[in-house]
Amino acid sequence: MALQEVTNAFLKRFRGCNGPLYQASKLQCRQYATAGDGQETQELEKSGSTTTTSGGQGMRELEESSFLSSTGGSGKDVQKFDPARTARKRNRRLPPSRYQYKSPRYYRGPLHPHQPPKPSDPSSREFEPGPFSLPRLEQTYHDTFASDFMTMTYTHFPPGFAPHQKGDRLRPWLGESPYYKNRPLRGPRGGDTLKLLRKPITFRNVPQLERVTVHTMVKGAIDDSAHLHVAGMAMQAITGVRAEAHKTRTSVAGFGIREGQYLSVTCDLYGEDMYHFLSKVVDVVMPKIKDWKGVRGSSGDSSGHLHFGLTAEDVALFPEIEVNYDMYPPRMIPGCHVMIHTTAKDDRDARLLLTQVGIPFYGKQIN
Amino acid sequence: MNAAPQSARRIASANNAFFVDTVCFSCRNRLSQQSRRHAATAAAVSDPPPATSPQASSRAAAPIIAKGPRKAYRLMAAPVLSRPPLLTRDLNSFEKAFYLYQKRLNERLAMPFSRYFYYNKGTPADPEWKRKLQARKTPSRDIGIYDAYGNEGWNDEVLVGDRTGERESVVEALIRDAEGKSIVEESEKDQGAVTAGDAQLGEGQRRETTKIEVERPSSRETEADRSGDVKSLNRKLDRTLYLLVKNHEGRWRFPEDRVYGRENLHQAAERILIQSCGINMNTWLVGNHPIGHHAHHYPSQKPIVSKISANALVGTSKESEKEEFGEKLFFMKARIMAGQPDLGSNAYGLQEWAWLAKEEVDGRVGRSYWASVKNMLVER
Repeated sequence: MALQEVTNAFLKRFRGCNGPLYQASKLQCRQYATAGDGQETQELEKSGSTTTTSGGQGMRELEESSFLSSTGGSGKDVQKFDPARTARKRNRRLPPSRYQYKSPRYYRGPLHPHQPPKPSDPSSREFEPGPFSLPRLEQTYHDTFASDFMTMTYTHFPPGFAPHQKGDRLRPWLGESPYYKNRPLRGPRGGDTLKLLRKPITFRNVPQLERVTVHTMVKGAIDDSAHLHVAGMAMQAITGVRAEAHKTRTSVAGFGIREGQYLSVTCDLYGEDMYHFLSKVVDVVMPKIKDWKGVRGSSGDSSGHLHFGLTAEDVALFPEIEVNYDMYPPRMIPGCHVMIHTTAKDDRDARLLLTQVGIPFYGKQIN
Repeated sequence: MNAAPQSARRIASANNAFFVDTVCFSCRNRLSQQSRRHAATAAAVSDPPPATSPQASSRAAAPIIAKGPRKAYRLMAAPVLSRPPLLTRDLNSFEKAFYLYQKRLNERLAMPFSRYFYYNKGTPADPEWKRKLQARKTPSRDIGIYDAYGNEGWNDEVLVGDRTGERESVVEALIRDAEGKSIVEESEKDQGAVTAGDAQLGEGQRRETTKIEVERPSSRETEADRSGDVKSLNRKLDRTLYLLVKNHEGRWRFPEDRVYGRENLHQAAERILIQSCGINMNTWLVGNHPIGHHAHHYPSQKPIVSKISANALVGTSKESEKEEFGEKLFFMKARIMAGQPDLGSNAYGLQEWAWLAKEEVDGRVGRSYWASVKNMLVER
């Protein structure tokens, strides 16, 4: 019979035999997370291999890996290997198939001989060069901020006390009237907006920074599109991310805009870009802003996303714009909105997280 | 329904003799308020709702009530004062190789550098940029000498043992670039500062121009690291350091003391920090809740009668005597921003103090204490 996959169920059936076939199949199956079969790991445990890491005792279970030690390999093979030298010495020209590879443009199904590589593969068309550094803000969050946040937001209940069980927030219409049947449910108590439910903060759901959106709307672009180009360049310079232009959705006579005009530019920052941008804003730009009170305490959309604005003078304080400030046409560097999206469910938690990051707030804090 | 669950009602009722023992002060207040409120509504309402009580009893867990004679424990607080890491951690070899490779791939894929947006034609910065670019073939300063668009652009992986991706070489390259040199020492013609032909001596004769000295960053390993000074806060800047003190018995523990009168745990922790380590420390207590606890029961269940004297710093403390079966110690998290402990006039007879990382704390404290403490200390 053709064996497609050796599963645990198959092995269970085999286990009764314990004959040569079972032993052979066990040798080929990986039973542990570490590479190799069970015998290898047993040998390793006996030899008592220890790796030198800051973790200490817990790391002894892992195999020794050259990734964890700082020194690279050494030896004659390593010294001999130099692909550039080999290429220079070569007199003849290689056929293109030896050095050229273009991944298939279209996906033609799982049975096609040419399968597209994974997006993480550098030869893929969808490849985006990955993280270039481990941002300081991300490290500080995981080492310091997250545990402090848990400690600060812990709510204690005495042993044996369960918090009051609340009913469904969207309540049905109850009564004798026949019109109540199939009527849409009533809104929640205390208002018409269904706010996000805030669950107790544990180590699994500490609020994190998710995304930062930098947005500018330039009125000058109504008459002259050069304003939008300059705004896009400025946004790309400060964020390091390609800016996206947006058309107006509707015509508003009061603002003097028509539908379909390209008037605004946004940059969405995730991951490493986001952490670098935020640390730049907090450490370099904010301290230099003159007479700045801070971010308003009422900023926020009640769902854990806060926002603040930077004027044109503040945007000119970014090091990427300061370095070639004269190359921008006068008075065309725009101000911008910065929207910080977090995984917090309400504004209070988001504000606490951003206070840890270093953003000051002023005025009454409203959820 | 606003009816309190059965368990809370049971705890809050006057019949429960262990109410004071098992429930903390603020919760006792909240529960007794609720019970008073619900007693009033129950009196007003004629028939209690039958539907909710079986649901409430099934939902709420049975309360933990002590079954035995009332046992008093000595309630103590201990501030765990820590200095968070001031530096990022060192990257391991995989991370360094990965980041360098990704940066080189980015060179091949990103749009070319728009030179005249940053360096105006005719300014002295322009030929300087051109010279630097010729030397390193790429606008980037931290990926070594690599031409992404040339004939050897395919050779983007560095060989084993190459130091291009190491932190030291990147910092060195950035500093050299800021000083006006090429990022790698090439040959004699590039040594020293920017060269210029001298009008008097003639072209080709080098004249010493002003050297730009860029301040080098301080070493990650400080003097305190090399000498192993455990009293210094500048040691192990990439790790969290915890304050341990040696008490009058010679045991290394976090500074601890009894909770007096009606003070809270966090108030006790702040007072203990001042009474043990002096006022020359800028500290901040993180939250009002403990991060761990350590219970020590006196051997063979024999209580010790302890005389509690009034504490000068706690207004509500009184002199009393209490029979205690053990100690319950709660750890409160605190952070230090500036200052150092001063055991000169401490009230507990503390002999010594030290700032220690997690594995060093392991080496100094007792085994049962370590078992209670280890999970609340941070690895980094």
